[in-house]
Amino acid sequence: MLYREAGQFKTTYGADQQIFPILQDRLFVLAVILAAFLVVPLFASQYLYTEILIPFLILSLAAIGLNILVGYCGQVSLGTGGFMAVGAYAAYNLWLRVPELNNLVVVFLFGGLMSAAVGILFGLPSLRIKGFYLAVATLASQFFLDWLFARVKWLTNYTPSGSVAVGETSAFGWKIDTPAERYLFILAFVVVATLVAKNLVRGHIGRSWMAIRDMDIAAEIIGFQPLRTKLSAFAVSSFFIGIAGAMWGFLRLGSWEPLAFDINRSFQILFMVIIGGLGSLLGSFLGAAFIVLTPIVLNQMPGWLGVKLSTAMISHLEFMVFGAMIVFFLIVEPHGLARLWSIAKEKLRLWPFPH
Amino acid sequence: MKRSRVFNEVLLAVENISLSFGGVKALSDISFDIAKGEIRAIIGPNGAGKSSMLNCINGFYHPQQGAITYKGVRRSQMRPHEAAEQGIARTFQNIALFRGMSTLDNIMTGRNLRMKTGLFWQALHIGPAAREEIEHRQAVEKIIDFLEIQHIRKVPVGQLPYGLQKRVELGRALAAQPELLLLDEPMAGMNIEEKQDMCRFVLDVNDEFGTTICLIEHDMGVVMDISDRVVVLDYGKKIGDGVPDEIKGNQAVIDAYLGVSH
Repeated sequence: MLYREAGQFKTTYGADQQIFPILQDRLFVLAVILAAFLVVPLFASQYLYTEILIPFLILSLAAIGLNILVGYCGQVSLGTGGFMAVGAYAAYNLWLRVPELNNLVVVFLFGGLMSAAVGILFGLPSLRIKGFYLAVATLASQFFLDWLFARVKWLTNYTPSGSVAVGETSAFGWKIDTPAERYLFILAFVVVATLVAKNLVRGHIGRSWMAIRDMDIAAEIIGFQPLRTKLSAFAVSSFFIGIAGAMWGFLRLGSWEPLAFDINRSFQILFMVIIGGLGSLLGSFLGAAFIVLTPIVLNQMPGWLGVKLSTAMISHLEFMVFGAMIVFFLIVEPHGLARLWSIAKEKLRLWPFPH
Repeated sequence: MKRSRVFNEVLLAVENISLSFGGVKALSDISFDIAKGEIRAIIGPNGAGKSSMLNCINGFYHPQQGAITYKGVRRSQMRPHEAAEQGIARTFQNIALFRGMSTLDNIMTGRNLRMKTGLFWQALHIGPAAREEIEHRQAVEKIIDFLEIQHIRKVPVGQLPYGLQKRVELGRALAAQPELLLLDEPMAGMNIEEKQDMCRFVLDVNDEFGTTICLIEHDMGVVMDISDRVVVLDYGKKIGDGVPDEIKGNQAVIDAYLGVSH
């Protein structure tokens, strides 16, 4: 079946406003989701789960969160790691102190809500400052939160090194233990969260974020309230990031210390958003895939090619090639991988004809 | 064809407004009114204070002296979104569209004050949120039809030519269904056909929706043809006010435009 929208007529506004108006897109996305749920568990190894799929999905969710703030609302943030830490530690404390609520869905949502509250607090300066200055203000939040989890011992349950560990986890009686179970649980969560994010950005609230991003003065004059709009973006963004942080702690690491959510994490997520595409949910996934997969591929490449190199040499090469690839992609398409994808789709609509 | 219409009800009255930025007096002691249902033009040479006047009316600037009475209520300092809530919409001299969004989304933002469903329903996009979205889409489609921009519905406005962007901006203002529409140089930089189209839209808005219009324009042909009354500013002072024919014969206005040896 060719990628054509010819003949697909929309007779209601509802049909015109669906997420994927083109039938082929709908089928493709459905096939990808079904494959992720049904086909992947048939062949995936433990390595594939724990080193590739789980990190990819969790970091995609964090990138979606940051993309809402940076890509859709235009507020630069370098505090992602801190907000992930809030989600992780809030979830940990609920899990630890209220054992009756040992349900991962509840625990993660709590982590997200706490992170949203902290996000609103640190979003307040955004009313007065913009751009680089706001980036510095959110950087301060990163350092403050790092400090908080290292120094306030109650939050880490008075463990000597500040390292916390979670034991058995379950959701609605389903014990989530093996890598496959963790993968399926995360996948389900991320699919739902992505749908929610898409609904938000295509609706009224998403338009208010984009209006503030594109022209804040005009947005205010036609009736948007800058403070409320910006804080709602901070809240929703931190909510997703907090859930991602809780997942990272509970289902990726199992035991962690504040260092897991330091400034490097913030930069990593920001790079995903920029490389993937600002203002695109698909871009969040593409960016996460790029950042998670490329180093692994580069690391394995010499082995596959049969070239014998020392481990140190390989890791140096990995950094160099990775850096060069980031620069290359940003020069080729400053709007990110998502734009490359949409250009490819435009071309595909006409293929095999040139015009 | 010259229209002569009579208006009785005052929609907005400006009384003795003065506005200065530091030592620069942008407006000094300006008074005029806008009657309900009329097309009121503000003209004047560059730097006369026309845009400052519009910015005062929609709450973006706060005049140091004087008062603005809108629908019979004297208003104190207000924020721009409060003006929007009271039914004042505007377009801008330099197009202020949301460049990353499509034509449709831009016009949909004009209806933001009427969209009330909460975050939760929007996140699920069912029930009230989905209904509201479709309801407002219908209203927006009427405006798209009216302005004849169906073909660019889904195009990001950043890619549109200038004349169409101006039209989309008018659409965004109309989507709010304003009582008072402020147009800041709606025909600047347009060719003759685009100007004729825009004049037609302005007149139709006034006729069909009964919207009161206050516009700033430099094209005297347009101003004299479509406006009911004209107020003339020069160096922040009012030098003329009346129907187009009076303004044409007003010596102070002629001097301001042509220059005069003092």
